[in-house]
Amino acid sequence: MDLRFSDDDVAFRDEVRTWLREHAPAEPRPHDRKAMREYDLAWQRTQWDGGWAGISWPTPYGGRGLPVLQQLIWFEEYGALGLPGIDACFVGLNHAGPTLMARASAEHQAFHLPRILRGDVVWCQGFSEPEAGSDLASLRTRAQVDGDELVVTGQKIWTSFADVADWQELLVRTDSDVAKHKGITWVICAMDTPGIEVRPIETMDHDEEFCEVFYDEVRIPLSNVVGDLNDGWSVAMSTLSFERGTAFTLSQVRLAKVVEDLIDEARWRTGPDGRRPALADDEIARRLATARAEVAALRAMTYAGVSRSMVEGSPGPEGSIIKLYYAELAQRVYRLALDIVGIDALQFLSRWRPGGWSGNYLYSYAISIGGGTSEIQRNIIGERVLGLPR
Amino acid sequence: MNLLPSPEQQEIVSTVAAFLAKQFPISRIREIRAHPSTHDPATWTHCAELGWFGLGLAEEHGGVGYGLIEEALLFREIGRHLAPGPFLACTLGARVAASAGREELAAQILSGHAVVGWAEPRDPQAIRSGRVSGDFDLLDAPEASYVLAVTPAGAALVAAEDLTDIEVLECLDPALRLGRVHLDAVAPVAHVGVDIESIFVRGLVLVAAMSVGVAEATRDAAAEYAKARVQFGKPIGVHQAIKHRCADMAMRAEAASAQMAFAALSVDEVRSDAAFQSASAKAVAANASIRNAGDNIQIHGGMGYTFEHDAQLYLKRAHVLDWTLGDVRSQLARLIALPAAQ
Repeated sequence: MDLRFSDDDVAFRDEVRTWLREHAPAEPRPHDRKAMREYDLAWQRTQWDGGWAGISWPTPYGGRGLPVLQQLIWFEEYGALGLPGIDACFVGLNHAGPTLMARASAEHQAFHLPRILRGDVVWCQGFSEPEAGSDLASLRTRAQVDGDELVVTGQKIWTSFADVADWQELLVRTDSDVAKHKGITWVICAMDTPGIEVRPIETMDHDEEFCEVFYDEVRIPLSNVVGDLNDGWSVAMSTLSFERGTAFTLSQVRLAKVVEDLIDEARWRTGPDGRRPALADDEIARRLATARAEVAALRAMTYAGVSRSMVEGSPGPEGSIIKLYYAELAQRVYRLALDIVGIDALQFLSRWRPGGWSGNYLYSYAISIGGGTSEIQRNIIGERVLGLPR
Repeated sequence: MNLLPSPEQQEIVSTVAAFLAKQFPISRIREIRAHPSTHDPATWTHCAELGWFGLGLAEEHGGVGYGLIEEALLFREIGRHLAPGPFLACTLGARVAASAGREELAAQILSGHAVVGWAEPRDPQAIRSGRVSGDFDLLDAPEASYVLAVTPAGAALVAAEDLTDIEVLECLDPALRLGRVHLDAVAPVAHVGVDIESIFVRGLVLVAAMSVGVAEATRDAAAEYAKARVQFGKPIGVHQAIKHRCADMAMRAEAASAQMAFAALSVDEVRSDAAFQSASAKAVAANASIRNAGDNIQIHGGMGYTFEHDAQLYLKRAHVLDWTLGDVRSQLARLIALPAAQ
């Protein structure tokens, strides 16, 4: 066991830091949806041009083919500089792309993967439905085979970036007469296909990142099916644990920065007694120190997960432990932020803006819901890590 | 960077675990609860022969020459098996003796012939100007030739002859023997400051490791019981009220274990944030062990509340470990005053 990075890793880290400092976008990420899309795609394209897109993607798919450790180093440096995430490209890079690599035909791979890496396109994920949230396999959006096409009718929800997406990884029910996991198909859906209507949903922190998507007899070529017809569940599950690998490193590094920023805030902001700085208050100081200790533990768990990935190829169900821990910790940290910032947080400021503590606090409620609720994570931990009965 | 134990480290862990299960069965804690001492010279010498008290000590000082991480893996197993005995005091005591140039004393401790008890100071400045003063809680000291006191500023070995008027008290943890004593400017037989290395920081990691052992043992005990105990015609572990509590226990144990390893390696690699990492490890592990031990009692129901059951022993040990080298609140007070992690 060791924490040391090799000379090559250190050189790689220096190279990453230098490149990021020189090439990171100077302007803040815009709020307008269309402008945000263009901003994210441009930043992804810059990374591609610099040779940094798909650090741990295999080289046959256009990636660098580097170990997950290099991906960790990239995210650590990226987070330390406080750079905005390329959220519009998240599904393409972290879910749809890896799924295509695992299960799609050579033609689909050759067409889509370079476009994802180059920042040409935005992907979204059409999985959840109003009646299929945590119980994803009970999804009802129907697709009937008609000649060489699938005809899709139904509704998806919580589809981030559907309003600006080019492509969607879509799960549809192609057989209603078999067990629910067995009648599902995974298909690539072009978002400009006639019959698709997208309605953004305003969230409690005034974001419009996710959407409802309605399908009215949407015709998708059968050749867009990935895997076999009715085999979509296994296709979807093939990358389930992927977004719980290093994709959380960025969040973890950012949270560590937030805690240090809060300690600085607590030095100059007046504390609860109305006279001394917040940091002089025992309770505030103790909660900040606890956050420091727990953020340290989150990093240690991330390192342990990456170590496991390097040996076993995936972070395993223990990835759910990191997600659960992060969600609970982030909520405690942003609740603490409100106690330090005090009534200044009465003014709503989006989490995208400097000093956006109120926006971040509101957003923290999404962290234990999105990407699998904390309750589902606890089921996974109980059943797959501890072996408890279902 | 690799936080997974090597095959050699895994071998240490499995050897140690097998020895502890055989030589220190948890049931024995109840059997000898009324004995004035838990010390068994033959077993203690056996542990010494296995090199346990000098695992992380350099070979030129008579140790095995491993790092703090290997010591921490050993102490995690000691915590997991609730092994009674002054393992911490002897391990750190041998180091203090060696660092202070008292090689013959170090050799006596390493061979198991001189036993060192633990003296937890009530005053964080108990060691000042090379003298030891104040009130101390003695653990596992009845058979000891020396006791070890450790503060953030240094560590000192005091001869047992200098401990007068020890008040013998019943310990919260029935596996341990408690005494209280007052020292007035006693000259220690060996003393080190923080100029060479911090005994305190090493101690934090080893105590955290024992707490991790408790957090993991109670996680496993709770999960096993949740699979085996049937009520309403089903194992209680199918219910989310139980399953999710077990999942939280797994989460706490994983966080504590990862941070403990990170802290041990920070010390071994002389990182500038070793104090930060070890205080974090101590706080996270103490919280994890106390909460997991409590949850384990709850999941075991009425049986968990009995003296007959092991569940109570883990809870009591978790609190003893929390107080050892300063409780969570004192670790947090140190942590907030330190520079950010490296």
